[in-house]
Amino acid sequence: MRFLLRRAGFYLLTAWAAITLNFFIPRMLPGDPVQSLLNRYQGQLTSEATRSLYVLFGLDEQTSLWQQYLEYWGNIFTGDFGLSFTFFPTPVSEIVAQSLPWTLGLVGVSTVISFALGTLAGVIAGWRRGSWADTLLPVTNFFSAIPYFWIGLIAIAVFAEAWQLFPASGGWDTALVPSFSGEFIGSLITHSVLPGLTIVISSVAGWILSMRNMMVTVSSEDFVTVAHAKGLKERTVMFGYAARNAVLPNVSGFALSLGFIVSGTLLTEMVFSYPGIGYILFKAVDAKDYPLMQGVFLIITMSVLVANMLADLIYAFLDPRTRREG
Amino acid sequence: MKRRSTFALLGGAAATALMGTGCGGGTASGSVLTVGMPNGPLTENNNPFSPTSASNSLGYRWVLYEPLAQVNLLEPTNEPLPWLAEKWEWSKDFQSVKLTIRDGVKWSDGKDLTADDVAFTYNLVKDTEALNLDAIPYKKATATGRIVELTFKSPQYVNQTRIIGFTPIVPEHVWSKVKDPTKDTVKKPVGSGPFTLSSWTSQAVTLKVRDDYWGDKPKVKEMRYVSYNDNSAQTTALGNGECQWSYVFMPDYKKVFIKKDPENHRLWFPSGLGIHVLFINNARKPFDDPELRKAMNLVVDREAVHKQGESGLYPLVESPTGIPSPVGDDYIADKYKNVKHKVDVKKAKKILEDAGYTLKGGKLETPDGKAVTMKLIDPTGWSDYLASLQIIADNLSTIGIKAEVDSVTVDDWNEKLFTGDFDASLHWTNTGSTPWDLFSNIMDGAHYKEIGEKASWNFGRFKSDEATEALSTYADTDDEDTRKKALETLQDIMVEEVPVIPLVAGPIGAVFSTKHWVGWPDDDNPYSMSQPTQPSSSLILTRLKPA
Repeated sequence: MRFLLRRAGFYLLTAWAAITLNFFIPRMLPGDPVQSLLNRYQGQLTSEATRSLYVLFGLDEQTSLWQQYLEYWGNIFTGDFGLSFTFFPTPVSEIVAQSLPWTLGLVGVSTVISFALGTLAGVIAGWRRGSWADTLLPVTNFFSAIPYFWIGLIAIAVFAEAWQLFPASGGWDTALVPSFSGEFIGSLITHSVLPGLTIVISSVAGWILSMRNMMVTVSSEDFVTVAHAKGLKERTVMFGYAARNAVLPNVSGFALSLGFIVSGTLLTEMVFSYPGIGYILFKAVDAKDYPLMQGVFLIITMSVLVANMLADLIYAFLDPRTRREG
Repeated sequence: MKRRSTFALLGGAAATALMGTGCGGGTASGSVLTVGMPNGPLTENNNPFSPTSASNSLGYRWVLYEPLAQVNLLEPTNEPLPWLAEKWEWSKDFQSVKLTIRDGVKWSDGKDLTADDVAFTYNLVKDTEALNLDAIPYKKATATGRIVELTFKSPQYVNQTRIIGFTPIVPEHVWSKVKDPTKDTVKKPVGSGPFTLSSWTSQAVTLKVRDDYWGDKPKVKEMRYVSYNDNSAQTTALGNGECQWSYVFMPDYKKVFIKKDPENHRLWFPSGLGIHVLFINNARKPFDDPELRKAMNLVVDREAVHKQGESGLYPLVESPTGIPSPVGDDYIADKYKNVKHKVDVKKAKKILEDAGYTLKGGKLETPDGKAVTMKLIDPTGWSDYLASLQIIADNLSTIGIKAEVDSVTVDDWNEKLFTGDFDASLHWTNTGSTPWDLFSNIMDGAHYKEIGEKASWNFGRFKSDEATEALSTYADTDDEDTRKKALETLQDIMVEEVPVIPLVAGPIGAVFSTKHWVGWPDDDNPYSMSQPTQPSSSLILTRLKPA
């Protein structure tokens, strides 16, 4: 119990620090949202617009930083992050709701696939050392060493332009309106094949590597030798005894990687014009859109924190040694 | 906790997604016209007054709502085409205008468009500072019968087309109920334009043609507006025919666009009255010397800036007055007609020699013996501007000026430009309906600020009472001849004192395909501005015919 309380205290403190930093960092960035907007429109907005834009964004009123900080906390508890400047006057929460599901869907599914595939391949590679399975590692490592946007661009050049098997950009066919129809879901899937595949290809090597190394360590342990000696089937020993124990670090790694789903998608969304949250954040930073930046950062910090907490709990549950009180 | 919030968000997205009425349909079908802009993600905001709305960014606000008149900034001296107003009459001093509103126009909800709606719209803009983006000093708008009278606090000669051509008219019966017009996202727009909103998704906005549109009914039955994440995604979509109308900067457009379908792929980038200039810091020594600036101007190779720097997309400005042709031909003073800028290193050297400068070992020195060096700055990533600066730097070396190109962050650049902490920088001017805007942006004393103070224009800190007076005379006078003289003075100053180096013009262009639709404005028939984000969209759509 004391262990749990200590962890809870730690997470509360971290959350406070993260949320506070989240308030101050955007305000310390140089630049001005109105000026960014005028640059974006290069001469299409007259400079007389400056004054009316300050009024529009509510930047003409002076409130102290302390007062803004208090308001910010109030807003967090009511779930109101204010109105975005870039997409004025759309509320930040609406923008997040519009883009987050696509990111979670695409990157979430790809992360799960990558984890499952990588872990399975790692089990086999670690169990059958010296066989063909050993070639998996250098091959996948090669792909993970290539910069992601390069893989993405090659995938577009080959599968979208030369062969035209899959669409090059977007989350679904622009002629369709999102709904739960077969046509739309089909379109959703064909549009996610290339971005999903490139994420899997570039991230699977990490899972294979860590799983293989743990398998190698575990398979020389006494309980594995005993299982062999009992005459159990090879497959049972491999999965039921060795892999089950070796998978622990991968599980906590997986929980952590879930936390980074939201933040780690900018490149995918840029290369494939995917309508997710990474690109929204990029736009927000570019436009000095404090409210939007704060909203997205908050989602990211919170998901990383929650994933960390889950990893902590799962680990403590799976491995009693970590809960031992000193 | 995390899972629940995720589900709530998913629910929200599905709900917004289902709000649309569903439009099935093949992508390549001839009756659909797809417009694309490289503007990245958008949110469901159709507010016609909001510069940040999707309807403004993609341009579809101008097929939902309409202006009183169709202004063609490509032929600024021609009278605008009557649209929601049948005719108008400016008072001699340009402090008021009487507009006759067209009869028989219906809003998309079936109600009649009246003069009261028009008066309401202008009063709304007047009363809401945040919506009055051009800061027009409205006094009031009153409707009597079919006549609307607009009055102003000062003469509006230079703003007349902005007033009647760029204000979307909205229905009073809808907008009078809007609580805060600056913060309303207008989910169900009611307008007088030829199309109505049919569905909105974060990837594409679909509009359907109206049966009861007052004007010529467009042959295009359905419009789709798509926002691509960046220029390269937009270019790919144009190249493979997925999108047929856009405005995007494409380096090497012949290869990436025209060549993909030479028969149908077209690019038309005529110049407006806005230009791109090299602002020189006149408040810094030795650039406060007009002789030096004149010499610099003489060696800059605009042809190279136009061709290599701007990929041939930004039209050349040949007149030494800075007024682009052919759009501004009528404004060019007689003595500068047919005068074209020519690179002349010899003459530049002569000017410098006469002014006491010396060339020592290929390096230019001022009369008091200081080497002339300068830094040309622009933001990182603005590759066309940086390439143009490189050309200018090379050109300047022919008269011994050591110029270096420096790229900085956008924020840093803003700060340096506004506070006068730079030697020279490439920047645009506004596009007006007269050359007043461009000259005012370059040298108006009304924008003059000391170094260290933030300037909103006249970044070069050019100080000339003569220029300031000519600008205010041009804007305020009711006499045609006085106006002409003032403009001539401004051109003289441009030529003799070279406050900035004019380079290329800002185009009002479009990229389009004639595969499914013909009748686009082009060199043979420049009846309208062709950018899909301009108020002329509804005019173009009524002229398009199936190929």
